[in-house]
Amino acid sequence: MTRRGFLTTTAGAAGAVAAAPLLAACGSGGAPAKTGAVSTSLLERILPKYKASSLVKPDYPSIAGSSPAYLSYPTNLVRTVTGIPGSGGSYSAITPLWGTIPSANNPFDQAVNSALGATVSVAPANGNNYATILPQLFSGNKLPDWIQVPTFWAPPLNFGQAAEDRLADLTPYLAGSKINQYPNLAAIFSDGWQAGIWDDKLYGFPSYTAGFNVGYQLYYRADILDSLGVGTPNVTSINDLWDLAQQVNDPKGKRWAMGDIFGYLFQPYNYASWMLDDKGNLITMYESDGIIEAMNWMAKAIKAGFVHPDQVAGNYGNGITEFYSGQMVIVSDGMGAWNAADAQKGQASNKKYTRASFDFFTASGSGTPQIPLEAATAWTSYLNKSLTAKQIEECLRIANYLAAPFGSYEYNLLNYGVEGVDYTAGSAGPQLTSNGTKYAGSSVSTYNFLVSPNNATYNAGYPQVTKACATWGQRNAKSGYQPLFYELNVTVPNSLSSANAFTPFTQTDNIMYEVARGRASIADYQSTLATWKRDGGNKLKSFYEGVLAQQKKLGTA
Amino acid sequence: MSTATGEHRGSAVAESGTGSLSATGATGAVRRSRRRWYVRLRRDRTLLIMCLPALVLLGVFGYAPMLGLVMAFQDYDLYDGILHSPWVGLANFQQLFTDPGFLHAFLNTLMLFSVQLVLFFPVPIALAILLDSLLSRRLRALVQAVVTLPHFFSFVLVVTIFNQVFGGAGVLDTYLRSHGVTSPFDFMTDPGTFKFLVTSQLIWKEAGWSMIVYLAALAAISPSLHEAAAVDGAGYWRRLRHITLPGLKGITVLLLILNLGYALTFGFEQMLIQLTAVGPGAAQVITTFSYENGIVAGNYSYGAAAGLFLGVTSVILILAANKVAHLFGEDGLYRK
Repeated sequence: MTRRGFLTTTAGAAGAVAAAPLLAACGSGGAPAKTGAVSTSLLERILPKYKASSLVKPDYPSIAGSSPAYLSYPTNLVRTVTGIPGSGGSYSAITPLWGTIPSANNPFDQAVNSALGATVSVAPANGNNYATILPQLFSGNKLPDWIQVPTFWAPPLNFGQAAEDRLADLTPYLAGSKINQYPNLAAIFSDGWQAGIWDDKLYGFPSYTAGFNVGYQLYYRADILDSLGVGTPNVTSINDLWDLAQQVNDPKGKRWAMGDIFGYLFQPYNYASWMLDDKGNLITMYESDGIIEAMNWMAKAIKAGFVHPDQVAGNYGNGITEFYSGQMVIVSDGMGAWNAADAQKGQASNKKYTRASFDFFTASGSGTPQIPLEAATAWTSYLNKSLTAKQIEECLRIANYLAAPFGSYEYNLLNYGVEGVDYTAGSAGPQLTSNGTKYAGSSVSTYNFLVSPNNATYNAGYPQVTKACATWGQRNAKSGYQPLFYELNVTVPNSLSSANAFTPFTQTDNIMYEVARGRASIADYQSTLATWKRDGGNKLKSFYEGVLAQQKKLGTA
Repeated sequence: MSTATGEHRGSAVAESGTGSLSATGATGAVRRSRRRWYVRLRRDRTLLIMCLPALVLLGVFGYAPMLGLVMAFQDYDLYDGILHSPWVGLANFQQLFTDPGFLHAFLNTLMLFSVQLVLFFPVPIALAILLDSLLSRRLRALVQAVVTLPHFFSFVLVVTIFNQVFGGAGVLDTYLRSHGVTSPFDFMTDPGTFKFLVTSQLIWKEAGWSMIVYLAALAAISPSLHEAAAVDGAGYWRRLRHITLPGLKGITVLLLILNLGYALTFGFEQMLIQLTAVGPGAAQVITTFSYENGIVAGNYSYGAAAGLFLGVTSVILILAANKVAHLFGEDGLYRK
């Protein structure tokens, strides 16, 4: 089945996989306000028409949405954009960056801008407090021309309203076959574009779109398990994981079995943000039985001394260093953690450093492992409403350039910069110079956060990383399912925004964290949950039941 | 105040033109006071101009943002702004005072502050007296530099250093573990001892810096007093009790009052960094509560309400402490 075929069958709509049990449920109540829920036919009209583009045949093709992977770098790069896309315009942009902020107008920026034929001045802002500067930019109407707003930080911004008030509607430019004039943009999966739809209009450009995207996976240090004689672990249940932890835990030798892996436990215990209980009622994951079991398991692991003390103390800052130095053997992390840069840094600390990942499993060890998919992308950028139609068109041509796929001349420039300045071309592919490491896109994401093509796995100089990562994806992508409200940007009424923030469960010192550390009991958790429900949680649930009913009516659930 | 009233009276008299004797007298007094005011302004103009930047700074960054506090009485919406957000009266405060999380944060703030006050406050005084008794100027300068230095570290650094030493993977616990203690006490994550942990961090960081003010006060005590007392046969402790400590009384009371003003706002950074390590039960204070509810959760009005409550309570605390100081015959913040 082609990607397009896959999309058509799921219609890019919410909860396709989870739809069977859903049909029995019938939510009631809740205002059918603006929710972002759109009918299948309307969605078809809004969404840009997908047109696959593959310049290079992957060594590991996509299976069930896993990213295609390449062991070597193509030698003859293809130009996907003819002429210069820009017409001399000048645009300001803000993107988040976790790392050293590069100097403005650096040689890499200059090379990209000269290729674009326009000046896109990206001012990266500290990713660690990006969430706190966004409200200031939006409320003060001080938005730049182009801005990255990750969807996970959109709720406090009341984004449905923000989009309408402050951001440019791209629907007239990109809907349906209008996208054809921007072939690189058309090659981005429709699921990626759907993340940018708010209240029946397309506003956002997707970055880093992936067909198979999960929040966390469970990594381990394969080299340490080898040196301990464990070999490749066969973890098929939560008890297997416990046994393995027991085997490798050695606090006396400054080696703990794991970090705080609570973030990952939704996979084996099978809960998703919104789900249906056994009776078919809509519940949040905080009301699920799985989350209670997960908390209990984590508490038991901490009590047994399996978890690194810094992680118990909530000092996650050194987590990656502790993983590199072998103080932690098993950690949970995002899919982006497994790449060449990781191998390079890890091997600087220990030459044998090898990251590997467990396949998904069920807590009990029986049944088929499942994992709720994340939206195809959480990274979406937007244009300012104050731009003129001419300027928007110029930005779209620029976006088309930025979305050039792996194997193209443009992709090479955006990710590796200029040969001889930012990278050197060798048999192992492009190697970044110190200049490139400071500025180029594959090391410092700036332009890539405005728009970028679908994810492709390639790790210059580390084909073994690509192989391990790609085969893991091919084996595990089939476990992914689309949870309720998948890819749906719901605009919650103001009165429910407080409940929708799930404050008692989402802050760093949240109640689940406290239970896992033995400072609060399950009874405390239940009472916090009851308070949340009383203070707006129940109303929020009714609202979502309304959304679900509306989706059913529109034929998207 | 009296001048303003006088002016008003004066102008009323001038307008009505009745011109009785007493009224004329009042007008004369006003003119004199106006003249004196003008003379004083001319005389002090250099000093006043020097004050101006500080006043502008205070106005722009201190008072002007306070206007934003009106959102505590609104259901503030980012896009409607302060001007168009709906008014909700005291609803945010009603919710605040019935929120167990807030009450806990409030009581916890008071508890942590009391512990810190009792354990921290005497340390710089003792340190100053100790240092003052050192005869070698070089040694004194060295000690002073060493104990003052941590003041310039941020709390991030202070907590990191403490974690490296006392944390579960720190120097101490690693040593104990390698010597057969299977689960050594983790000072950094124990909610029960958290109040002593934060106090010791504060002492390490700030005692040296706070000491400087006391050293200055000690320097102001005339050495002849000590000499005369010594000649009269007073020993060290006697001189400490009757000369040194009374000499420090004024500054101690002043700092105590100022400290009370910070009672509710202290240690935001210190608590926020360690909130996850010991949990909100031990480390949640009003400032972190306001931050988490206002900035993090995006419930700005609720956060502002908690902030306003904090500000008003702090002012009341300062004024009350000042009043008490005056009752005991001390200068307090200003001379009565």
